[in-house]
Amino acid sequence: MKTSLTFLIVAALLTPFAAKAQMPHDAIYMGKKQLCVAGMYGYSSWNQYWENSFKRENFNIGTLTTQSVMVMPAYGISKRVNVILSLPYVWTSASAGNLMGQRGVQDISAWLKVKALVVGGFSLHGIVGASIPIGSYVPDFMPMSIGMQCRTATARLLANYKHTPTGLYVTAHGSYGWRSNIKIDRDAYQADDRVYNVNQVRMPNVYDAAVRLGVLRKGWQTEVFAERSACLDGDNIRRNDMPFPTNNMQSTLVGWYGKFQPRHIGVNARVGYVVDGMNVGQSTSYTVGVLYQINFNK
Amino acid sequence: MKKYIYFLALGSILSGLATGVVSCSKLIDEPQKSAYAPTNVDEKAGNWKTYVLAAPTDIAIAEPKSISSAEYQAEVASLKQKATNLTSDQQAAVTYWGAGAAYRWNEIGRELCARYNIPPASTPDGKYPVPDATNPLADPKFPFANPPYASRALAYLSVAQYDALVSAWYYKYKYNRVAPAKTDAALKPLLPVSTLPSYPSEDAVVATASVVILKAMFPGEVPYLEAKLAEHRNSRLWAGMNVESDLAAGEALGSAVAAKVMTRARADGMSAANNQTVTAGMIQAAKDRGLAEVWVSQESPARPPMLPNYGAVQTWNFDKTTLIKLRPGPPPVLNDANYEKDMNELRQVNKSQTRDQARIANYWSDGAGSYTPPGHWHRTAANTAHDAQYSEVRMARTLALVGTATMDAAVGCWDAKYYYYYPRPQQFGMKTSVGLPNFPSYPSGHSTFSAAAATVLSAIFPDKASEFAAEASEASVSRVYGLIHYRFDSNAGLEHGNKIGAYAVERAKADGSGL
Repeated sequence: MKTSLTFLIVAALLTPFAAKAQMPHDAIYMGKKQLCVAGMYGYSSWNQYWENSFKRENFNIGTLTTQSVMVMPAYGISKRVNVILSLPYVWTSASAGNLMGQRGVQDISAWLKVKALVVGGFSLHGIVGASIPIGSYVPDFMPMSIGMQCRTATARLLANYKHTPTGLYVTAHGSYGWRSNIKIDRDAYQADDRVYNVNQVRMPNVYDAAVRLGVLRKGWQTEVFAERSACLDGDNIRRNDMPFPTNNMQSTLVGWYGKFQPRHIGVNARVGYVVDGMNVGQSTSYTVGVLYQINFNK
Repeated sequence: MKKYIYFLALGSILSGLATGVVSCSKLIDEPQKSAYAPTNVDEKAGNWKTYVLAAPTDIAIAEPKSISSAEYQAEVASLKQKATNLTSDQQAAVTYWGAGAAYRWNEIGRELCARYNIPPASTPDGKYPVPDATNPLADPKFPFANPPYASRALAYLSVAQYDALVSAWYYKYKYNRVAPAKTDAALKPLLPVSTLPSYPSEDAVVATASVVILKAMFPGEVPYLEAKLAEHRNSRLWAGMNVESDLAAGEALGSAVAAKVMTRARADGMSAANNQTVTAGMIQAAKDRGLAEVWVSQESPARPPMLPNYGAVQTWNFDKTTLIKLRPGPPPVLNDANYEKDMNELRQVNKSQTRDQARIANYWSDGAGSYTPPGHWHRTAANTAHDAQYSEVRMARTLALVGTATMDAAVGCWDAKYYYYYPRPQQFGMKTSVGLPNFPSYPSGHSTFSAAAATVLSAIFPDKASEFAAEASEASVSRVYGLIHYRFDSNAGLEHGNKIGAYAVERAKADGSGL
């Protein structure tokens, strides 16, 4: 298994990928019949977490590390309508204690991004996304689980202002995310201070909001950002208990993103740090990617 | 104009999505249990053998007023008034409690076990504070309802319900006061009415007996339990099932029987179960018998082992001599061929656990935050007896047999675990997908609990014997798949549990119920 993982990472890093990289949370679009494929590697870890609102460490977990490799193609249906897909493979490990690391293919996501309105440097975008689990991973062996096993649907409104002469931009977005109920292997569990005698778990819906400030020029991009994401309801981790999918997870994250793409091949990188939260780990995360752009117009 | 087309397109996508989202219900369909008239009211249950009561007449219950008396007529008139114009909450309470008194209070007992089943957190100085019964809601909460604690709480709960119901049945048929609905055709009860005499009320008996036990076992839950008790009592009035004097007599009987049961509980040795001073001698004895490496806590900081002296707690269905006689033989010597064979199985699972192995391990994990394996088997017992439409007294008997057998299994297993003091696979590099219990490995507790419960249930429900045996066997092997037990731990636990369960079956055959 180790060998094939290494292979995947290497493959992900070496495969030629796209340049005009765009995300479901920016105002960048691929031109018509342009495909950009990003291959990304993510590394995230924490050694402290919020049990409810109480910040603590756990000597029987030590540092929890989550790594992933992800393929993320984006395609321009037109210069104002783009489709973005992503599919990650995720693996986890704990540096202390004896909890078994989990690994597997997680959820496939699809996003449709529409530039709805342009007035001068200002633009308004509507983005809808959905995801479905692909792997049969265990969702409630937290914090080792690689995902939640729920189907999601997200609606996002994004506003962008770009000062064309300098490339300076500011972007803000807000989203509402619906999450399906999930099924777990057990047919009884505790949530909301009671026992449910069934294998279905009600998952709280989520929202997120972010602001970004950056510069986008022909060959490069740099930005700083702040993101807030939270459940709309949910319960809290009980004293000294493990987390559970129903938890009201909230986090505020600050970070930097940069991209360098002199030609059709490029690289990107992202750093994020959780400054505040509830029922989540205080993680520091790094992502690096290789981008490759293909023009099907030729 | 063209730009607005995009705007419109987006708008319709968003509204379409919103409609789709709203129409996706997030309701959870939990299985609902409804009321039934028992297939057999068990008229002779007043003579069934009790656990703690010497005789069903230990608590005296006065003869009720006759149904022709003015007092009774007044009670029925008042009942008719209470049982009309119910709010939807009142109707919901009638439906909820109508599923069965012992059934619901057993469910409440399991719920409390789950809510209190969290190991204390360590303090900054690396110590683990011991939960304090006199300050139950402080951190750590009292109790830590681990499997032995839960097995005992549920055993006393079921025994109190059962003994109180046997006595109630005795008085019901002694006084033969029929249900209020049979005395007044204008009274329309909301629940099925059987031929069972209604004085004293079996619901009041079960509710008060249960509350006495659960308040003692979960002293931080007094307001919760009193609210449940009040709702249960009121539901009998709202349903038109019991008059005030039925309830009052039931309450007097239930609380008096439970008080006697608690007298046994207070003297059963539980107060010394967490005596950590006994471990030094246990470790030395295991080493003297040739164990090269004894169990040590794998937690950081090292946590004192769970209830090392629980093996000295009083059993229900056999005595101390039998307990020692039933103790499983020794586990393999570390690193011998038998050990290696089962260790290799674990190494394989550790390397490549299949999804199905994980599923089985998860289904039976019953770890922290759950009602534990004894709770799992109480649930199976209660649901099976409910499906069989058992009378209250036969339901309580089923739960008491399973409850005493699983507590005996806990005592027997804990005795063996600390006798052998055998190391967990985690001392030799295995991980776990279910969480590691903090006590010695051999034999497996899950296996002992499950085999004891399955043996009892198979005797009571012979049609389902193969199902129960398969479940016990899956619960047992789940601990191998979860990597916290060697297969020889599981096999020894199954065998041990079967023997322990057989003592409860022997008692069941002789208790007068006609099993």
